[in-house]
Amino acid sequence: MASSSSTARVRRQLPTSPWLFAAPGLLVVGVFILYPFVSTVVNAFTDRRTLIPGTFVGLANFRELLHDDMFWIGLRNSTLYVLGVVPALVLLPLLLALLVQKNIPGITFFRSAFYTPVVASIVVVGLIWVWLLDERGLVNSLLESIGVGRVGFLSDQWLLLLSAMAVTVWKGLGYYMIIYLAALANVPRELHEAASVDGAGAVRRFLTVTVPAVRSTMVLVAALSSVAAFKVFSEVYLMAGPDGGPAGEDTTLVMLVQRTGTGLTGRVGYASAISVVVFVVTVGLMLLVLRADRKEDA
Amino acid sequence: MRISRRALAAAATVAVLLPLSACGSGSDGSGSTDASGKVEGDITFQTWNLRANFKPYFEGVIADFEKKYPGTHVKWVDQPAEGYADKISADAAGGTLPDVVNVSPDLVAPLAKAGLALDLDKSAAQYKKEYLDGAWASHQIPGMTGTYAFPWYLNTGPLFYNKSLFEEAGLDASKPPTTYDELFADALQLAKKSDGKVATLANVPTIEDFGRYGVELMNKEGTAFAFNDAKGVELLTKYKELYDAKALDPQALTATPESSGKKFLTEAVAMNPGSALDLGNFKKQAPNLYKNIGITDQITSTSKVNMYVMGVMVNSRTKHTPASVAFAHFVTDAQNQMSFAKKVAIFPSTAGSLDDPYFTKEDGTDETRVRIAAAKSLKNAVNYTPVLFSEQMKTALRNEVAKALQGKESPKTALDNAVKACDTLLKQQG
Repeated sequence: MASSSSTARVRRQLPTSPWLFAAPGLLVVGVFILYPFVSTVVNAFTDRRTLIPGTFVGLANFRELLHDDMFWIGLRNSTLYVLGVVPALVLLPLLLALLVQKNIPGITFFRSAFYTPVVASIVVVGLIWVWLLDERGLVNSLLESIGVGRVGFLSDQWLLLLSAMAVTVWKGLGYYMIIYLAALANVPRELHEAASVDGAGAVRRFLTVTVPAVRSTMVLVAALSSVAAFKVFSEVYLMAGPDGGPAGEDTTLVMLVQRTGTGLTGRVGYASAISVVVFVVTVGLMLLVLRADRKEDA
Repeated sequence: MRISRRALAAAATVAVLLPLSACGSGSDGSGSTDASGKVEGDITFQTWNLRANFKPYFEGVIADFEKKYPGTHVKWVDQPAEGYADKISADAAGGTLPDVVNVSPDLVAPLAKAGLALDLDKSAAQYKKEYLDGAWASHQIPGMTGTYAFPWYLNTGPLFYNKSLFEEAGLDASKPPTTYDELFADALQLAKKSDGKVATLANVPTIEDFGRYGVELMNKEGTAFAFNDAKGVELLTKYKELYDAKALDPQALTATPESSGKKFLTEAVAMNPGSALDLGNFKKQAPNLYKNIGITDQITSTSKVNMYVMGVMVNSRTKHTPASVAFAHFVTDAQNQMSFAKKVAIFPSTAGSLDDPYFTKEDGTDETRVRIAAAKSLKNAVNYTPVLFSEQMKTALRNEVAKALQGKESPKTALDNAVKACDTLLKQQG
C-alpha cells in the first residue's frame, strides 16, 4: 500500500530544472500573450471604458454588435478581403516562384526586387500608393492621357477596397514567393522529366506535378494569408483614412476595434467583444482550411 | 529536487495573475486639492509636440520656475502629435499621468469625469482674473461644476484662397466670400467655369462649420446634441449641392486636413483654412501659389469665428499639488504666454495681452496682417467644438455627412442619425 502511494506521488511530481529553464519563456507568454488574451475575453463581458473599469454586463456587448451597422460593414469588408486576397496570394506567388526558380544569371536581382515590398514599411508603401492612385496621381494621369478619364480609386467605396487589396497582394507576393521557392526546391526533378517523356507540356506539368507537390505549402499559404487578410488594418487605414473610407463603408473589423476602443472615451468592453469575434472567425478560418486539406488527403 | 504538479500549477497561476493585478490597479494615490502649501518637489510636465521647435523656450521657462521656487525640479516630457490622446489615455489608465499636462478641452472632459483633473475653481481660483473670461470657461465641463485646466494659448486661422483661380472663374479676387451664402455662390461658379476641375473646398462640414453657420450644437443643459435642426439641415443640403457640382472635392469624403492642404498647394482647390505659419510653407513649397495667395477671415454667418483653445491641466493625483498648480500657472501667465506668442503664431489667453502693439500695429508684412486680423477676431471668437464631442462622435458625424453627400440618405435623416449616435455615445460616457 505504502509502495503504491509513493509510486503515485512520484508520478505526480515533475523534474524542476526543465521548468526553471522554461520559466522566462512562460513568464513572457503569460504577461504578453496569455494576460492580454484573457483580459480581452473578460473585458468583452463588461462595459469597461478607457478610464472607467466598468461592470459585468453579460452578453450585452455581443447583443449590441448584432444591431450595429458598422460591425456588419466591418465583417463584410474583412470577409471580402479574405475572398479577394487569399486566392491571389496562393496562386500569384507560386507563379512568381516558378519564374525566379531557375538559376540563370541575374536571377538574384529579380528575387531581391520581388522581395523588396515585403521589407518596405507599410506606412511608406501605403503613402506611395495613395500618391499613385490619387485623383491627380500618376495612374489617373495615365488613364486620362489614353482617354479613359479619371477613376475614383480613393473616393469610391468598392474601388478603394480593391485598391487596398491590390496593395496587400503586391506587398505579400515576395514573402509567399520565398515559401514556395523552398517548397519547389524539394520537388523531385525526375517527376518533371517523367511527365515530359510522357508528352506533358508546361501547363500540364504544372497542374499534374508542381501543384500536387506543393499542395501542402499552398494550404499553409492559404491559412496564413486568410488570417492576415481577415485582420487587415494598415492598408485600408492608410488608403481609406481613419474613418474607413466614405461614410466608413471600407471599415474592417480591426479598424473598428481600433476606432471604438482607443482614446480617452474608448469603449474597451465593446471593442473587446469585436476582438473576440475576430478571434473566433480567424480560428474558424484556420480550421476550415486545415479541414479542407485533410479532405483532400483522404 | 522535484515539485508537485499542484505547486507548479499554483506558481503558473501566480505568474499570470500577478501582472494582471498590477495592471488593473491603476493609481490610487490621490493627491491633495490644497495648493496653498510650500511649492517644492519633483514634478513632470508634458507638452504636445512642442519640443522640436521650442526646446530653448521651454527650458528657459522651467529654469525660471526652478529659480523662483528653489526645491522644485520640473522634468519636461514631450509627446508627438500623432496619438497624443492615446498616450494620455494609456497614462491615465496606468496611473502614470504626468503632474502637469498640456490638454485641449475635449481631452480634459473625460479626465475630469474620471476624477483625474484638478478643479482649479477650488485650488487656484485666485488666478481666474488673469485670464479672458471665455478662455477660463473653456475648460468647464457641462454637467460638472468647476474648471479643469488653465487656459493656455488660443489659435484661430484665416482662410487662404487662390486669387488666380478666382479670377479665372470671373470672380472678384479682392472680394472673397465672408459668409456661407457667398461661399456657396462663389464655389458653384468656380466649379461651373472650370468644368468641375477646380473645387473650392476639400473638406466636408465639421461640427465647427455647423457652429459658424449658426446651428445650435447642443441643448442648453449640455445633455444632448441638437445640430439636426432646420439650420443644420440647410447647411448640409447646400454642401450636397456643392458636392454634386464638384465644387467640393470628390475626395473630400476621405480627406484629412493634411490631404486637403496638399490639394490647395497643388492648386486643385481654391480655398483652405490655415494659420500664419502656412505662409512660409507656401513661399517655400509653392512659389506660384504664394504669388497669388489671398488671405481672408474665416467664413462665418454668426460674425464670430472659431478658436481653438489649449490648456494646462493639473493631475489631481499629483503628490505635489502646490508645485504643480504653481507651475501650470507659471507656464500660462501673461508674461510667458506673451513670450511664447512672439515665437509662434499663437495668441495669449491672458486678459489684456491681445491689446499689446504686437497684435495691433501693422508693419506692412503679410505675417503681421494675418496676426493682427486673427487677434482682432479672437476678441469675440467662440470655441465651437463642444467639450464633450469625442473622436467617436466626430467619426459618427463625418460618416453621416458622407452618406448625405453621396445621396444615400437625406440631409435630415443623416443629421438625425448623427445626433442619435452622438447622444448614445454621450450617454455611454456617463
